[in-house]
Amino acid sequence: MKRLCIISLVLVFSAAWVGMPGPEPYTPVYPAYFGNRIDVPANNPMTVQGIQLGRMLFYETALSANHQLSCATCHRQELAFTDGRKFSAGVDGVLQERNTMSLANLLWERNFFWDGRARGLEQQAQTPLTNPHEMGQELSVSAARLQVLSIYPPLFRAAFGSDTIKGEMILKALAQFERTLISDNSLYDRYLKGVYKPTASEAAGIELFYGKGGCGHCHGGPKTYNELYHNNGLDSVSKDPGREKITGASYDRGRFRVVTLRNIALTAPYMHDGRCASLEEVVDHYSDHIVSSVTMSPFIQGNLNLTAEGKKDLLSFLRMLTDSSFIADPRFSDPFKTDRRSVVRTF
Amino acid sequence: MIFFVFSVHIVLAQGPSIKVSGEVTKPLTLGAADLAGMKRVTVSMKDKDGNEHAYTGVAVGEILEMAGVTTGKQLRGENLTKYMLVKCADGYEVVFSLAELDADFTDRTVIIADQSEGKPLPPGKGPIRLVVPGEKKPARCTFQVTELVIRYAKE
Repeated sequence: MKRLCIISLVLVFSAAWVGMPGPEPYTPVYPAYFGNRIDVPANNPMTVQGIQLGRMLFYETALSANHQLSCATCHRQELAFTDGRKFSAGVDGVLQERNTMSLANLLWERNFFWDGRARGLEQQAQTPLTNPHEMGQELSVSAARLQVLSIYPPLFRAAFGSDTIKGEMILKALAQFERTLISDNSLYDRYLKGVYKPTASEAAGIELFYGKGGCGHCHGGPKTYNELYHNNGLDSVSKDPGREKITGASYDRGRFRVVTLRNIALTAPYMHDGRCASLEEVVDHYSDHIVSSVTMSPFIQGNLNLTAEGKKDLLSFLRMLTDSSFIADPRFSDPFKTDRRSVVRTF
Repeated sequence: MIFFVFSVHIVLAQGPSIKVSGEVTKPLTLGAADLAGMKRVTVSMKDKDGNEHAYTGVAVGEILEMAGVTTGKQLRGENLTKYMLVKCADGYEVVFSLAELDADFTDRTVIIADQSEGKPLPPGKGPIRLVVPGEKKPARCTFQVTELVIRYAKE
């Protein structure tokens, strides 16, 4: 029986290698409380082979102009796919204008970057790959480089039915992999599933977050964000135009996306410009340092004036959102870590 | 000879507007002047301060009719499965079924308002917002409306 299973598996994988019977559809698994408003474009369905290829490309340094950087350079799994820096440096050493965003539960997101300018992950992925101050390599050059690395043409054939690699396939595979980065196993999830009883401080933090703090207006619900853009009272005149640069509307000055709070304790520094070095500083901002401006969100009514205990409780709740299994999940880890030559055998 | 190179930052001159799209026969983009030229209505709505305030603008039904959306006598059969998605500048979105907005179905007039108590709306809420009289929660009385999208609800 065991032998039969192994033979069947070999046959299935062999079939995939030669393009038959085509890539296997992949259905993402997530708790019902996240809802099903997911964003998977009709022309890029998730497949087992597409995701596996996307994971390799995410860690592939051949996609950068200097062969030194991959997506994972700035999106490190152990830091919930951030890099701990205020601004990340690209292939030319130039720093980014905004803080690197964490990656989690992107399956539900429709617009990307701090200003939401990219519609869909496929479009988003193009910027870091080609921007001269990030990975700095045209997609056509990346495709040509992958074409001559023997491991890739068969993987592209398995995922997309052709071993002639095109830039669009690179974007699609990356997007498929990124859509699998689901964080749903934090203490907060266990609390939502009724299998964890929060400590007194955590419970008080949840109450403050959804009650007096009003944090839930933008960060509420199990996903801990809504796809909104707000000026959260950082400056009287925002140096960075934020969404205004995209829309041209003056009321969008200094508006940035409401970020997920999932794994927030791991993703310092904070805000679009990384100005807050710690989570404590973020809580202090909302409690004591709100700066009013014409475009400040009408949902921020000024300082929350939290007590020391209130701040502690809020932090306790925010730390409940750390998902230690997400940051160690082998499905999201570097497939090249052990031995690049063995990668092919692992799929 | 000296050449001067000027870098000019172009600020978009046109003011905020509302786009009406989706299941329409005439897609529209209405600016402040367009709204000012349409049939104006004033409705009353209780704000967070607990008091009734007068809001003036254009009935959503009027705008939908102008865009060729199925309203009035046409709002029957499968057209009753249509909804209006309201999109706002901050990314906020809410939904109404078309019947909730139609004068043949309800006496409540939902409006796109550009004035409150005869004055332009305050920054953060204006220049254009949705006013939904009579709702217990103000969550659908949205600020800075940018788009009305008409769609069929599909299973």
